[in-house]
Amino acid sequence: MRLTALLLIACLANLAPAEAKKAPVALKKLPATAQGAVQAKEVSLVRVNVTGQPFDYFRPWQKKAPFSKRALGAVLPHDRVLVTADLVENQNYVELERAESGEKTAANVVVVDYEANLALLEPIDKKFLNGLQPLELALDIVVGDRLSAWQLESTGTLVVTEGIVTTIGVTRYPADVADFLTYRLSIPMQYRDNSYTVPLVKNNKLAALLLRYEPRTQVLDAIPAPIIAHFLKDAAGEHYQGFPSLGISFFPTRDPQLRAYAGETGKTGGVYITSVEPGLPAAKAGLQAGDIITAVGDHEVDQNGNYVDSLYGKLGFGNLLTAKAYVGDSVALHLLRDGKPLTLNVKLEHRGEDDYVVPPYNIDEAPSYYVLGGLIFQELTRQYLKEWGANWQKDAPQDFVYLDKFQSELFPEGKQRVVILSQVLPANSTIGYDDFSYLVVKKVNGKEIKSLADLAEAVKTPVNGFHMIETVDDPKQLELDASQAAAEAGALQKNYGLPAMERLR
Amino acid sequence: MHRFRLLIYAFALFLVAEAHGQPNGHIQSSLVRITSTEVEPDYRAPWNSGSIGRGVGAGFVIDGQRILTNAHVVSNSRYLTVEREGDPNKYPATVQFVAHDCDLALLQVANTNFWKNMKPLNFGGIPALESTVSAYGYPIGGERMSVTTGIVSRIDFNLYTHSAIDSHLAIQISAQINPGNSGGPVMQGSKVVGVAFQGYSGDIAQGVAYMIPTPVIRRFLKDIEDGHYDRYVDLGITYTKLQNPAQRHFLGLKDDDRGVLVGTVIDAGPCGKLLQNGDVLLSIDGHPIASDAFVEYEGERVQMPEVVERKFKGNTVKLDLLRNKQPMSVDVTLGTVWPYFMQGHSYDIRPRYVVYGGLLFQPMSLDLLDAYRISDLRVRHFFDFFVNEQIYRQHPEVIILTNILPDPINTYLMPYRSSIVDEINGQKIGTLQDLARALEQPAERFVIKMIGDGPPLVLDPKQVESARERIKTRYNVIIEQNLDEQPPAQPAVAAQTNS
Repeated sequence: MRLTALLLIACLANLAPAEAKKAPVALKKLPATAQGAVQAKEVSLVRVNVTGQPFDYFRPWQKKAPFSKRALGAVLPHDRVLVTADLVENQNYVELERAESGEKTAANVVVVDYEANLALLEPIDKKFLNGLQPLELALDIVVGDRLSAWQLESTGTLVVTEGIVTTIGVTRYPADVADFLTYRLSIPMQYRDNSYTVPLVKNNKLAALLLRYEPRTQVLDAIPAPIIAHFLKDAAGEHYQGFPSLGISFFPTRDPQLRAYAGETGKTGGVYITSVEPGLPAAKAGLQAGDIITAVGDHEVDQNGNYVDSLYGKLGFGNLLTAKAYVGDSVALHLLRDGKPLTLNVKLEHRGEDDYVVPPYNIDEAPSYYVLGGLIFQELTRQYLKEWGANWQKDAPQDFVYLDKFQSELFPEGKQRVVILSQVLPANSTIGYDDFSYLVVKKVNGKEIKSLADLAEAVKTPVNGFHMIETVDDPKQLELDASQAAAEAGALQKNYGLPAMERLR
Repeated sequence: MHRFRLLIYAFALFLVAEAHGQPNGHIQSSLVRITSTEVEPDYRAPWNSGSIGRGVGAGFVIDGQRILTNAHVVSNSRYLTVEREGDPNKYPATVQFVAHDCDLALLQVANTNFWKNMKPLNFGGIPALESTVSAYGYPIGGERMSVTTGIVSRIDFNLYTHSAIDSHLAIQISAQINPGNSGGPVMQGSKVVGVAFQGYSGDIAQGVAYMIPTPVIRRFLKDIEDGHYDRYVDLGITYTKLQNPAQRHFLGLKDDDRGVLVGTVIDAGPCGKLLQNGDVLLSIDGHPIASDAFVEYEGERVQMPEVVERKFKGNTVKLDLLRNKQPMSVDVTLGTVWPYFMQGHSYDIRPRYVVYGGLLFQPMSLDLLDAYRISDLRVRHFFDFFVNEQIYRQHPEVIILTNILPDPINTYLMPYRSSIVDEINGQKIGTLQDLARALEQPAERFVIKMIGDGPPLVLDPKQVESARERIKTRYNVIIEQNLDEQPPAQPAVAAQTNS
């Protein structure tokens, strides 16, 4: 489900009162290392060492400098090890290490879900995990429970820090694709840069994995056991499906004037649907912008978008469609349209990469590109935008950020990519074009360009010996001599170290 | 690619340069110290008069008992006084003409005593590179004249940061100039060769100061001869250099290094119906345009816009061009390109706004965005692409819900802040006038559709009416709307106080 900025504001407002409650608890907090008579052996943790190399989207034909990361994995039944997905992204090699003995083995990534930030590893040596008691999941955590964060010192000693669950809500995960159930803890944890996967445990059962931690405020967000359970159940099937997505944006109906306008005068609940993504489950089921969702299945939805969960109390209704539902499930949405009740059954699907115009992440996947006489063409992706660093939303070319953020509004048909002329390598064929960069390509040789494959196809048919490239913004047109560009390819590859002139999906 | 107007966020401190070579006595009877009391409009509470401040700058006497200074010295002024060397009196002055697009202004002093023994300065031409100039003024607010010298470092087109959208010829000099010196003359020998006007703050660059050269000053003085300042004119196009041999061949150009390619033609500009994307401009008023957009003009190699710069509203310029490889020529009657103005600073006007139900609606402008520090991506996009994507066709003014004065009737409306009004009850809103008129219509409710996906903002006029006095009183909203760009009340022309 895609949420608008407006909605985010609404979510924050929901969390705020609960956060306020947490403050007094944090003040009387316990020492950093608490009641820790837990032995590493019974801890069911292994070290995970990862080396990898991210792709370089500014030079899409090459990779960046290698990195290595160390973290902990939680041992699960069936010889599997659970880690967070950000640990293994762009990995080349994953190794498991027994904390007490230093024994090592290579491991495969069996399943990875970057949206939920979870990954499952499997040691090559099946006996490697023998003697470690697999962790069970603690699915009944509620606000007020105390959880222990498990970390290993470099010596292999276990460091246990206890914290308290202050809020349980539905929040946006770092991949910025979807909102999932999240535990928020107040915890005075030692945090290291390499603390990728930190298990949070209650009574020797796995309650959550660290998602993010703010050392200044000592607030920790964690991926909770219900999300992990969903991931594991899905991963046990033949094909991993991912979490379902409805494909709508909504807005609270707290404003009585908006409620009156929408014809929702009788009851007090419901959220206003502001947009419906074409091609996704909600649209397929016939939902429309302006509908009011009053209930999902048997659960009524209040004007802030919350339902009453049997365990947690009030919770964003998105949880009913993520943690509590699977791809392929059919969910009844009860609506009001023009004041009249209506029920639509939505068959849930996962929103895959191809359902985006600007894909939100492409990890472990080589970026595509096409070089034509020194002009570098790429598809616009958020991964590319993130090359501008942590502040990419401010620092990257603003029209690209705009295209990303408002993609469903700007491309209501979906099913296309944005092809950009990202940079120009100076060469004989591109003299005078050196200053051009970050241009959106509209047409090449008269043909509309909606993917890099379209472009590769279009350059096969130059017009009167020229390649004609049309861009949305100035200069609006560039031309290349087709035979000169072809003849110069070899020299370009040699001069700029291009292993190939193209890489298409 | 070169754009006629550049949008650059400026950093320049306003400085006045003062130069002086030898104290020749002549300067002291021409230089004046200007004290301005100004009122800065408050975009966040536009019904208020704004904050009052005071600044010091320089100016100098020119023929016709006039004082030339920078526009930014007298912008938003409510009261002006001038002083001269060796005279204890402060003389009230008024602004006769002001040109915010080239940062120049002319002042009048009614008191005849002021003009006794004052000598007008004469203008020279463009000084040679490396020649020495002297800048005169009142840096950092001092009471006595100051003089610094330097050399002419560079002569080029440059952004004039006072408006933040206009670029004209500017001369970079190495003389030290500092805030408070703006408007002072830069002399070479006995002639004025420029008016010092901007520089950099010390952490960006040092020893870099700029003066307005005499061609710009002369153009200003000529423009006002008819009693009215018409602003600079512009072609209202973007163009790119044509240095790629294949592209030149494709466009049917000869191998003669001539021509630039027209990109965007602003249809609200003078070329709107005459040029189109893909045209190749070959010459302007008979001056061949080189493929790097320079022309030979009065013996100098200058950028193409310089030819237009020297002209006035209503003048024509002849463009020879190639369209679909066919030669043709057009005569363009020059004028201003109004959509650009929104992207620059404005002065001497009261902010326009409408308050309705505690909701503050204001038209987008550079000053508005600065005041609210709006970082909303959609608003920034509408601002940045207002001209080039011709957003102004649909929205001559982009009306933003900038603020909400909290009241029970608008408790839940905060999420709508910073959104752009698209329609009210099905009517497109293109201007603030449209919005004010739409909200005056009798209606059961107002459904205000914002641009984008969000839900409409719904208001009940009866509730708004019942809350009206409450909101006015609580937030001291003296006047609920200002629809006209009327200048603020000017002080009465200073009485002839005799000293």
